[in-house]
Amino acid sequence: MKTSDYPEDILQSLEDYKIDIRNFLPGHGKGAKLLLDFNKISGIEQVDGIILKGREIPNGIVADILIKEGTKLEDPVHLCFGINKETGVQEIFPRIIAEDNTDVKIQAHCSFPNANGLIHKMFGHYYIGKNCNFTYSETHYHGEKSGALVAPVSYIYVGENSVFENNFNLTKGTPGRVKILIDIYAMKDSIIRSNVRAFGKNIKDSVRIRDSVFLEGENARSVIKMKAAAKDGGEVLMYGITEGNAPYCNGHVECSEIVLGRGSICRARPFIRATDPTSSISHEASLGRFPQKWLDELMAKGLSEEEATDILIEAMLQEEVKL
Amino acid sequence: MLLELSGVTIPTFDQKCVILNDVSFGIKEGSIHAIVGPNGSGKSTLAYTIMGLGDYKALKGKIYFDGVDITNLNITERARLGITLTWQEPARIDGLSVYKYVSLGMKDKSKIKEKVFEVLKIVNLEPERYYNRIIDKSLSGGERKRVELAAAIAMNPRLIILDEPDSGLDFIVLEDFMNIFDNIKKLNMTILLITHREDIGMVADYGTLLWRGNHIITDEFPRVMLRYCAKAGLKAFCKRTLFKNGAVCFDDDYIDRIFREENLS
Repeated sequence: MKTSDYPEDILQSLEDYKIDIRNFLPGHGKGAKLLLDFNKISGIEQVDGIILKGREIPNGIVADILIKEGTKLEDPVHLCFGINKETGVQEIFPRIIAEDNTDVKIQAHCSFPNANGLIHKMFGHYYIGKNCNFTYSETHYHGEKSGALVAPVSYIYVGENSVFENNFNLTKGTPGRVKILIDIYAMKDSIIRSNVRAFGKNIKDSVRIRDSVFLEGENARSVIKMKAAAKDGGEVLMYGITEGNAPYCNGHVECSEIVLGRGSICRARPFIRATDPTSSISHEASLGRFPQKWLDELMAKGLSEEEATDILIEAMLQEEVKL
Repeated sequence: MLLELSGVTIPTFDQKCVILNDVSFGIKEGSIHAIVGPNGSGKSTLAYTIMGLGDYKALKGKIYFDGVDITNLNITERARLGITLTWQEPARIDGLSVYKYVSLGMKDKSKIKEKVFEVLKIVNLEPERYYNRIIDKSLSGGERKRVELAAAIAMNPRLIILDEPDSGLDFIVLEDFMNIFDNIKKLNMTILLITHREDIGMVADYGTLLWRGNHIITDEFPRVMLRYCAKAGLKAFCKRTLFKNGAVCFDDDYIDRIFREENLS
C-alpha cells in the first residue's frame, strides 16, 4: 500500500503523540495491520499466528482478530480507524480472541483530524485465554475544531494467570464529547493494569470514562490509574471501579485530576466494593492544582508558571501504571 | 559583587515578626559562599528570598544582582537573569524523565542530548543509565539531588543557590558532592551554599553567619566558622575538631580572643 493511498491528514495527525501512522500501513513496517478509512477497509496485512478479518457493514466494520495458541508476536498488531471527514458515523465491532499462552500487543489509533460533529462508536468484546500477556493501547486524536462524539464500550475477559494491560490516551487536540466504558473481568492469578489519560482543553470538551475491574478469580490483582486535566471550561469525569469478589484478590484505584482555568470541572469517583473477606481493595483520589513547590522548582529553571504547568500536565498524563 | 543584599527584612507569613532582620552582605562572582547558622536562623528563608519565591517578599531592603535591582522580580524573571536554586528535598514528579527535567532550563536548544549527558557526568551520574529514568520515588535521595544539580548546571546560571545539599546524605556521597561543587566552580558559576555542616562549608571561599535572623559576619569561611563556634560556645569542639586537619589553622590565642569578644557582645 502506498502512503498516498491513505488520507494525508490522518497520516500526519498523531505527530504530537510522536506516532507516525505511515509506519503502520500495510507493506510498511512489521506486524499485522487493519486499516480503516471511514467505513471502508483500506488495507489488511496478516502475519503467522494470527487471523485478521474485517467485514464492512453499513456504518463501519466488524473486525475479528484471532491470535492462535502459543503465538508470541514481537511486533504489535496495528489497528487504525481513521476518518478525515468532518461529520458522519463510524461504528466498529471488534471481536478479539487471544488463545492460551499468547503474547501480543495491539495498538489502536483512532484519528479524526477534521472532526466537527463526527460520531465514532465501538462495541468490543475481548477474550484473553490462560497464561497470556496481552496489551491493548488506544490513542485518540479528535482534531482541533470541536472534536467528536466518541462512545466506545469494551468487555474484556482475562483468563487465569494472564496479564492484561490497557492504555487509553486522549491528551492531544480537542476531545469533544467522549463517553467510554470498559469492563474487565479478571480470573484467577491474573494481573490487570489499566491506565487512562484524558485532557479536556476547552468548553466543548466533556470526557466521561468509566473503567471497571471485577476481580473474579483467586489472587487476581489490578491497578487502575486515571489521570486527567481540565482546562478553560473543559469537563472530565472519571469513574474508577474495582470489585473484589474472590479470595485474596487485591485491587487499587487511583484518580488524579488537575483543574485549570475558570469553568473547568474535574470529577473523580473511585468506587470500590468487596464481597470476599480476604480481598483487599483500596482507592485514592486527588483533585485540584499542582503543589506550588513543584511549580517553583520548574520556574527556578526559567519557565513561566504556564509553561511549568504544561510540563507537569504532560508528565502526569504520560505516567505509566505500575503494579 | 555579583549579588548584594541591602537591609533585607523578611516577615513571617502573618507579618507579626521577622525571620530575617536587616540583612546586608555581598557575594563575589566566581566564589563559593556558604551561609551557616543553626536551625531556625533563616538560612533557607534567605535562599528562597534571593530566588524570589512568592511567599518570601522583602518587607524592607533591596536585592541587587550584578547591579540590577531584582527585589520586585518574580522567580521566573530571576531565573532568566541567571539565578537558580536547588531544593533541600527536590520533588518527585511521576512521568517526568531525567532527560526532560535536566533540559528544561537550557537556553540553547541545539545538541540537547549531548549537553544533558555532559551535565550528568559533572554530577557523577552515568548518562546512559540515568537519562531515561523518571524522577519519581525510584530515584534515591542522593540521585535526585544530583539530577537537581545537573538541571541547575544545564541552565548555565551565574549563581546557583544550593539549599542544604548535604541533608540526608551519607558521608561517602558527601565527599563526592564536595568534588561536584569544585567542578561547578570551574565552570565559572558562583555558588551560594546553605549548610549547617562545617565539613561541607570548608569548600567555601567565603561565608556568612546568620543567628536568629540577624547577620553576624561575612568573611573568609574559616573565620565565619570560628565565630559560629564562639556564638554557640563550642570552644573545645573548635580547638579539637573544627580546624584540626584544615588548610587554615588558628592558634589557640586567636580562638580564645574571638570567644572572649563573643562573650562580651
